[in-house]
Amino acid sequence: MSVVQRDGETRKWYLLGVLGGLWITGHHLIKNLFNRKQMITLNYPEEKYEYSPRFKGNHVLTVKKDGSLRCTACMLCATNCPAECIRIVASEHEDPSVEKFPISYEIDMLRCVFCGFCEEACPVDAIRLGPEWQVPGLCGDNFIYGIDRLAYRPQLKGGIQSFVDDEERHKAGI
Amino acid sequence: MPKCTINGKEIEVKDGSTVIEAMHDQGIHVAHYCWHPGLSVAGVCRLCMVDIEGMPRVQIACNTTVTEGMKINNTSQKVKDAVKWGLDFHLINHPLDCPICDQAGECGLQDQYMEFGKYDPEMAEKKVKKHKVMDLGPTVVLDSERCILCSRCVRFTKEVSQSNELGIFNRGDHSEISTFDGQKLDNNYSLNTVDICPVGALTSKDFRFRQRAWYLKEGNSICNGCSTGCNIKTYFNKEGFFRVKPVYNKEVNGHWMCDDGRDLYKFVNRDHRYLKASHRQESGWSQILPGAAAKEVSTHVKAGGEELALVLTGQYTTEEYEKIIGIFTKDLKTKNIFHWVNNKESFEAFDNLLIRGDKNPNTKGLLQVFEKNQISKTWADLETSLKAGAIKTVVVAGPENLKFYKDLDAKVQLFSQAKKVIWLQTAKHPALEKLPINSWIIPMKSFVEKEGSFVNYKGLSQKMNKVTTIVSEALTLAEAAELMAGHQISIKPDTHILTDADRPLDQVMSEHRKKNEFVFKRGTV
Repeated sequence: MSVVQRDGETRKWYLLGVLGGLWITGHHLIKNLFNRKQMITLNYPEEKYEYSPRFKGNHVLTVKKDGSLRCTACMLCATNCPAECIRIVASEHEDPSVEKFPISYEIDMLRCVFCGFCEEACPVDAIRLGPEWQVPGLCGDNFIYGIDRLAYRPQLKGGIQSFVDDEERHKAGI
Repeated sequence: MPKCTINGKEIEVKDGSTVIEAMHDQGIHVAHYCWHPGLSVAGVCRLCMVDIEGMPRVQIACNTTVTEGMKINNTSQKVKDAVKWGLDFHLINHPLDCPICDQAGECGLQDQYMEFGKYDPEMAEKKVKKHKVMDLGPTVVLDSERCILCSRCVRFTKEVSQSNELGIFNRGDHSEISTFDGQKLDNNYSLNTVDICPVGALTSKDFRFRQRAWYLKEGNSICNGCSTGCNIKTYFNKEGFFRVKPVYNKEVNGHWMCDDGRDLYKFVNRDHRYLKASHRQESGWSQILPGAAAKEVSTHVKAGGEELALVLTGQYTTEEYEKIIGIFTKDLKTKNIFHWVNNKESFEAFDNLLIRGDKNPNTKGLLQVFEKNQISKTWADLETSLKAGAIKTVVVAGPENLKFYKDLDAKVQLFSQAKKVIWLQTAKHPALEKLPINSWIIPMKSFVEKEGSFVNYKGLSQKMNKVTTIVSEALTLAEAAELMAGHQISIKPDTHILTDADRPLDQVMSEHRKKNEFVFKRGTV
């Protein structure tokens, strides 16, 4: 650490600085006392700040109309992930029009750097970064999120529907 | 020997060779789907277009024979346009479902498209829907929509496997590949159709959806499934081995390999292997490290003499045989060395393509080493001396590939007549749990984990390199022999200093793919 050593007359004028600081504190104190609605400070955790919906927080796996996972297990998110925190096990689906789906999709939240590359890589809008950001947990195991947590956690109320629809694409002849 | 000029370079080619063969031999890249060096010429994909001086239109290189003084060019704008539009037609009915296609990453369509593709399709019509996920047989799945009708697989079943199961049905854009009525694609070479399929239409049931192609590293080796000794490429990552593909070798296997050989990667993986050595005492089996176990048995083996016997199977490398037989004959002074043959009656069987009855990769190599050391004991000698109790300690170098060693139970019983059995084994087998008290099972390295050479049925010695290590504690036969004889083994430190030359080459080899900003400059969008 570097310490700035000031020599000369200005060293003795510290009182001016102290008074300046006190003035700012007092100014905010009086402003907040008389105008509490505009106060910036929050009483966390009772009050929480709401980020914009574009905030890159916890991942969400989107679902199709029937509530099944949108993910096709193409592993492009896992390939693109710089933190290598996504682990997918793919399997064969009974329905030939679905063909491939993930039987396990795990994100290690402690390794994740929330860069959003998975979202960019996904060809079917199956993964998004949502606005939730508080991740409390008691041990490391709690931070490996599986499909249950990523797609069907209670906050999502049955899952978020994906924009990409297979049926519509097939009808359009793509 | 006609002379011709390809892309401004004068070369001499063999009589009657086609333009694409000449270019292939010269290492000149030319886009193609239907042409395969091991199959006949079909000329249906119209992609291998070349510009030949004096001809008004571009010609297909696969069906044009080189003539004296021909001037060929495949870098002109005319050729690139032709390929570009050819690709656009191929993609009219292709579903472009690369994310769920197993071929993605090693797909001909993807590769050519990156180089020649026309990025905005001009097709307004709907795509023709065809059958998806068709079960063709026990090993192969077909997706007709992805198929570009190159007919390589049809020609393969017609010309190479000669089983004629596949055909092209219907007409025009409704044509699709399928099996003939009531037939299944079920022959010993069916998985070669998956290899030669340039797109993801034919996929292997075994490999399907298990890994993406870009997660796998590759290493060349020799198949240890039979005495043909096909050259193979194994695909693996840190989770183990996932598949095996053939490598072209004109002398041995050509372009192909059999389906049985492709299953061999399975026993190499950790789940199927002995990881620790086991020792059976009166209290039961106890586990120790392989090196420690080999040292422990050395107290019993070192005495040597006529009470010690060695049983070898033809599944180890020649170098290992030389070492172990050298140690047993010279240091341990025993000539009781026997060759364990699994299926003597079908040894000479041959299916006129690749599969041979001798299911050991190195029987010839073993017999050569036997001859060199003048070992002439027969199996009957072993049986009689075991019965008489003349042999008290047996060291067995068990088979790696257990599929064709059906009589393992009987052999375990036979060797149990000796007082101590030391079984060197790679893959797990339940029969070995019945070994008597005072026996050891010591894990061995598999054929992909060691260097050495296999001598195939016609005496051709093929050298193979180590691919990777799966069980690092396991010993090679040579190491086990040294330790059992009470010698020390030392691992030589790697004195090689890494330089820039050792840096692995870029995974993406082709220039046109390096230009793709999504591959190399991700995040800048």
